[in-house]
Amino acid sequence: MGKLISFRLALAVPQLILVALVVFLMTYLVPGSPAAAILGTSANPERVAAVEAQLGLDQPFFTRLFTWFGSAIQGDLGNSYAVGRPVTDMLLERMPATLSLVFGGLVVAVLIGLTLGLLGGTRPGSTTDRVTTTITAITVAIPEFWLGIILLLVFSVQLGWVPVLAYTPIEVDPLRWAQGLILPSIALGVGSAALIARSMRTSMAETLSARWVDTLTATGMSRRRVIFRYGLKNALIPVLASTGLTVSILIGASFVVGQVFAFPGIGDLMLRSVIGKDFPVVQGGVLMIAVIVIAVNLVLDICYGLLNPKARPE
Amino acid sequence: MKSIALRAAVPLGIAALLLTGCTSTDETPEETAAEASGTLRLNFGAFPETWTPGYEFEGGPMRIVYENLITRDDAGELAPGLAESWELSDDSTSLTLNLREGVVFHDGEPFDSEAVAVNIDTVKNTPGPFGAQLAVIDSVDTPDENTVVLNFAGPTPSMPVTLSTRVLPIGSPAAIEDGSIATDPIGTAPWAYDAEGSTAGTVMSFTQFDDYWGDAPGFENIELYAIPDDEAAAAAVVNGEIDVTDTEEEVLPRYDGTTVETFEYPAIRNNVMFFDRGPGGLFEDVEVRQAICYTFDVQQMVDVNGGEAATQHFLEGTQGYNPDITGYPTDVDEANSLWSSAGSPTIDGEMIAAPFTTTQSTIYMDQASQLEGFGISVSTVPPPEWFQGWNSGTYPIGLGSNDELTPFEWYSAWFAADAGGNPSGVESDELKSAADAAIAAGDSEEADELWAEVTKIIADEALTCAHARGFEVIAYNSDTVTNVNAPAYPFEANNLNLREITPAG
Repeated sequence: MGKLISFRLALAVPQLILVALVVFLMTYLVPGSPAAAILGTSANPERVAAVEAQLGLDQPFFTRLFTWFGSAIQGDLGNSYAVGRPVTDMLLERMPATLSLVFGGLVVAVLIGLTLGLLGGTRPGSTTDRVTTTITAITVAIPEFWLGIILLLVFSVQLGWVPVLAYTPIEVDPLRWAQGLILPSIALGVGSAALIARSMRTSMAETLSARWVDTLTATGMSRRRVIFRYGLKNALIPVLASTGLTVSILIGASFVVGQVFAFPGIGDLMLRSVIGKDFPVVQGGVLMIAVIVIAVNLVLDICYGLLNPKARPE
Repeated sequence: MKSIALRAAVPLGIAALLLTGCTSTDETPEETAAEASGTLRLNFGAFPETWTPGYEFEGGPMRIVYENLITRDDAGELAPGLAESWELSDDSTSLTLNLREGVVFHDGEPFDSEAVAVNIDTVKNTPGPFGAQLAVIDSVDTPDENTVVLNFAGPTPSMPVTLSTRVLPIGSPAAIEDGSIATDPIGTAPWAYDAEGSTAGTVMSFTQFDDYWGDAPGFENIELYAIPDDEAAAAAVVNGEIDVTDTEEEVLPRYDGTTVETFEYPAIRNNVMFFDRGPGGLFEDVEVRQAICYTFDVQQMVDVNGGEAATQHFLEGTQGYNPDITGYPTDVDEANSLWSSAGSPTIDGEMIAAPFTTTQSTIYMDQASQLEGFGISVSTVPPPEWFQGWNSGTYPIGLGSNDELTPFEWYSAWFAADAGGNPSGVESDELKSAADAAIAAGDSEEADELWAEVTKIIADEALTCAHARGFEVIAYNSDTVTNVNAPAYPFEANNLNLREITPAG
């Protein structure tokens, strides 16, 4: 396992460098000056030039690239063009809300996904299977934004069970944090649950059709014991692989769901930064998300290696 | 099937328990509303990412904690703020402000002439949207603690108006110097930021400032929320979780049958500008411009896009308004007559629009295409590209906002020969002569009449037309708050007369 972890960590470094270079290049190539975005309707060529000089945007590409990259390596993501604050501070302030939402969405996706996948996969072709397949086909098509609004109108406005203002930081009140996560997590996780359910169904059905399962059954072992003691472990291996993708999807979807439930996450910040060409924030945000995705995949790869010795490097 | 139903019931049951658990441990909406009697709960959709003077943030959040040197009274007229009085020099090249005594910042620092100088310097040197408006201030003299003299690079009779806007909020010099003002705003307003009572990203609390120099406001405390989604904000105000929110026309049906009331006020001005007015330019001929203006049906645009049609830039009762300006009422026959008189030119070109001006731009260009040979295509570009391009001289015609509050600013920004928004650099002798006379009048009584003459010439020469005003919509829960009115500060988004709002009942 040590080799696997070392290998994956070593791979993460060039991945991050590549992401950083690509995002820097992309923001550089986008037409329109950040200075114009800052100045708004008062922008004219003279003012734009003055602000560009103030922000260092008049420097050559490689000067800007090396300056930014050199600082980023040391953990300094620069200052926002639009508000002058350190990008690291702005992102770290918002990261807990985004991570909370992604965590909640993942819990919902895994719980519902595994349950539906298990129900369908253990009885392929049955009524149960057809029902769960239909459910997943429907839920995967529901937009997170729409579902969030519906949940809000039903549970907050009509029933009054939960407040609209959902987010409470975990350090302020863990119970309220958990309660505030319920609706947003459902809105976020349902779509991904369908993906996990499909993966789990297929995997479980294949696992249970294997010859060794017949052998175990022939020994008189109960079907429940075969499924949960032996089948589940094997069926989960491909599901784990799709969970990494699920996390990436959830991070993207959390930007939208966070808007509905007023979660002070990085989604709103990134959206405004992209529109306003606040490139240091965009670059820092993408880099930070890349770190999270790479870290999650690293953990999943380790779990994958634990479950499947064949996946470990020689 | 029984086992399936049972399994399905388990997660639903857990969800129901957790949800009902919210009601047992959480405040009900009724309880929330009752407890909030001394706290005004506002939502403007987002928190300012920084509170440092000079950076962009809207008037609503700004005026919770900051004050201006000059303010507005209930009638919208300029009134003493942190400056008790002010005097413009005869040639409008300097402004002397007599500061209010006994004013302290929330951090205990004294408000004095040095504090004003620091704030002006900060805004001028910040790469933000307001520095340019103070760039005309060449130097700041501080002859004593309570006197500030602003020396201008040229005649600037509009500076008192500029100082009343969100261009120059006055923050604590100490907080500006150590940079803490970005996240912990410290001003002189009736409410001071309460970091202890705030939750990062969720709510910002402001409590009554005991050492405030003026009258106590209607609410002791303010809580500022940031609900970006209009549907969610509507749900929160209906639920009683917040008292006041900015909102959009699309969600107004959500308030039907509730105690939530709404009102709107003009916050945005848009008009068509003819940029290519130089020799040989597409719009050099005044008859061509007038003909195009006569094709515009602003009311039709408003019916589609919302807002309010207007005939001129300035509101009645403000400097620059001229009752003799009737605009260009839609008259296609008159348009065609002028077009023929101008030789029925061929107008081929392109204009750019931001996503928020595309509809208006398209409607107007379609209307103008009734003139034979007129063909301006509209391309939508992202906002920064539009900001950079629309008045740069790259495109012959454009549609955008003119934010200027005074005729001096409006003329200086768009119509003077050296105006940044006049890329052709062309100005008629008549307009220049009238503007020079108005500028020379400074803030004297005759200035109003002279500026009205300037705006009339601008209209007659059809340098711009198709004036329309966009609205901001505010919703408030009449069960919890009253005296919620449009801002005394004209044309500012997300602004309210915060001090006058009082608890209902």
